[in-house]
Amino acid sequence: MARPRKVFYRRRKVCKFCADKIDYVDFKDVKLLQQFIPERSKILPRRISGTCARHQRLLQQAIKRARHLALIPFTTD
Amino acid sequence: MRTYELVFVVDPRVADEDVVAMTQEYKQMITAGGSQISKEESWGRRKLAYPIAKLNEGKYVLLGIESEGGKSSLSEVEHRMRQNDKILRYLTVRTDEDLKRAASRHPKTAGRHGESPAGLAADATTAAGPGGSSAAAAAGEV
Repeated sequence: MARPRKVFYRRRKVCKFCADKIDYVDFKDVKLLQQFIPERSKILPRRISGTCARHQRLLQQAIKRARHLALIPFTTD
Repeated sequence: MRTYELVFVVDPRVADEDVVAMTQEYKQMITAGGSQISKEESWGRRKLAYPIAKLNEGKYVLLGIESEGGKSSLSEVEHRMRQNDKILRYLTVRTDEDLKRAASRHPKTAGRHGESPAGLAADATTAAGPGGSSAAAAAGEV
């Protein structure tokens, strides 16, 4: 008899932008961008956030623009 | 038609009236170059995410620009901003292509982008402290 194996249910990650139907990631939307910059102010990788490739690209661009205008930090020290 | 967004950050020591005057000057330059101002927002005094020129705050102004055809005076405006040491940062972004692409994907939810996120204005007034009320008033005027 096979030992009952522990089953891990991994929650499927969904791209936030696809779910919310956001097609233009605005660099002015600091609240939105902040969800994708953890403590060290680095851009949260796709493999963790579950953002799809297209939206990650838009997000990356928006974060970089926001950084230039000092809306978002480059680093935290 | 091309649309642009131009955001610039002004030294907080510059008085609100002078910021308005400066904005006016840039607007005139833009309209003289044959473009229209479609939007103007003043976010007032906002805390910078990192110090620029040893300053921790800045006054943000946003201009929406619509220009017909290829020619626009934006490069000239940028040139002037670069020379103005009261301007800490500026950023011009062309938005028409991205917005069109976004609209074609989800036609129903297009146009959602229009207004600036509500958080910004609210943040500006709460974070500003003493300057907050005057900044809000300036935003109201516009």
